[in-house]
Amino acid sequence: MKISNLLIICLFLFSCSRKPEEIHFGTDACDHCKMTIMDQKYGAEIVTAKGKVLKFDSAECMVDFLHIGNEELNNPKTIYLTINTAAPGQLIETSTVSFLKDKNFKSPMGGNLASFPSRQLAENNKQSADAQIMTWDELLKSR
Amino acid sequence: MKASILYLFFIILSSLTSANTITVAQKGRINNLGKAIALAKNGDTIIVQKGHYPSYNTIINKSLTILGKDFPVLDAGFREEVITILARQVKLDGFVIKNSKVGSLRDYAGIRIHRTEQVHISNNKLMNNFFGIYISDSKHVSIYNNSTQGTNSAQNSGNGIHMWQCQDIKINNNYSSGHRDGIYFEFVKKSTISNNRSVKNLRYGLHFMFSDDNLYRGNTFKNNGSGVAVMYSKRIRMYNNLFLENWGSSIYGLLLKDISNCDIKHNRFIRNTTGIYMEGCQGINACNNQFLNNGWAMRVLANCVNGEFTRNNFTANSFDVTTNGSLNLNNFNNNYWDKYEGYDLNKNGIGDIPYHPISLYAQLIEQIPQSVMLMRSFMVNLLDKVERAIPSLTPESVKDNHPKMKPWEI
Repeated sequence: MKISNLLIICLFLFSCSRKPEEIHFGTDACDHCKMTIMDQKYGAEIVTAKGKVLKFDSAECMVDFLHIGNEELNNPKTIYLTINTAAPGQLIETSTVSFLKDKNFKSPMGGNLASFPSRQLAENNKQSADAQIMTWDELLKSR
Repeated sequence: MKASILYLFFIILSSLTSANTITVAQKGRINNLGKAIALAKNGDTIIVQKGHYPSYNTIINKSLTILGKDFPVLDAGFREEVITILARQVKLDGFVIKNSKVGSLRDYAGIRIHRTEQVHISNNKLMNNFFGIYISDSKHVSIYNNSTQGTNSAQNSGNGIHMWQCQDIKINNNYSSGHRDGIYFEFVKKSTISNNRSVKNLRYGLHFMFSDDNLYRGNTFKNNGSGVAVMYSKRIRMYNNLFLENWGSSIYGLLLKDISNCDIKHNRFIRNTTGIYMEGCQGINACNNQFLNNGWAMRVLANCVNGEFTRNNFTANSFDVTTNGSLNLNNFNNNYWDKYEGYDLNKNGIGDIPYHPISLYAQLIEQIPQSVMLMRSFMVNLLDKVERAIPSLTPESVKDNHPKMKPWEI
């Protein structure tokens, strides 16, 4: 009885968990450009419907990756995240993110994209006159 | 009378035009570099005596020659940048520059050079800076004989020598270690990197992004995250470099991604996990290179076209060439392969039957990475032998029609 309980618990533990995974800066490589992910202010991650985790060194790399297209990503359950530029290392869901495109933010792949959890914060971090603020959908379309 | 007037005239003239020399000493009247710069005018020389000087972002905004005697120390105490050069024709030589602030949003540097030209930085020792030398929007800058030691932390490390939107830069005989990238190029054109050593950097020894028409020659890249990464660039020439012991998972001696028309000549790749990794490359000409003791000598993805791989030596690599598809549009010719088992009946030094560099086992490992545990087993050897005799699974098009019997002298 006890053993069977334990087995069931184990089964639950091993079942697919669709959770974002922390990016290990300095060791994980970008799934699009193959570069080692180093800069804690930038980064992105996709968790597919099956629970596979793809990591990127920047939001622009994730957008490029989506641009190439992939069957698996069409599933609406796919989760997209980016690193909060204001809190290095923290992942936030792209649906809530305000992307700031400002040439003073030198993201790893030359996209000059910083991600902030609110529009207000993005406004506050604006440094150049020609900076733009975009939502995730606008960013995807702008590509 | 006339002569004395002329004499006087010359004295006045010389005192007007000749450059002054200002000496900075720790216990002197002028006891820091900032004061000396304020007193100096264009063309002057400042000599800094041995000592320890605080320098919280000292700005050099005049054309000066600044020389350190017996390596005086400029220390920012982790509060600011150490030195910023904004003027033309500045020479900075012989300093120890250390302890710049480690920032999260701003890139603090030991020496920052911004929007200027004809700057010469030589014989400095940079220690514990976030970025070592940071050059932006500048032309004709030369960086000679410096050494830069980074913070060595994965989270907070900048690049050793960092360039952004520059042109005609010369980087010669420097040493970079413990930084994110030893030398980093972004939007840099027509520059030369020669005889540098990049050791134990966390990401790459040398890194090109969107930088065209550059040359790097005679450098050594040892024990870095990866040796060199060339990405999204055109017409890069890579000659006589040594790629040594860049070892680990997803680590490469030379990583090429989306580049075109590049030459890779006379380089040596020794004990790397992957010698050269290529993805989306066009018109790569790799010849006279030496691949010794690598895991994968070359990994060429199927989206590479018009590659010419000739006169290289492949010696003691676990895999000579691997790919994820077929390499129809690439040409291997006249290489030396130590795994070649053909014959040379007419004794012209060239094997009579073609060599197929992609082994069956390499194809197998491509599909099932776990099969690496069968490496060097009897079964694998047998499979490879059978496949060599009767090719069926390996891409027939990838072959060297004129394999060399003896290694090239490189």
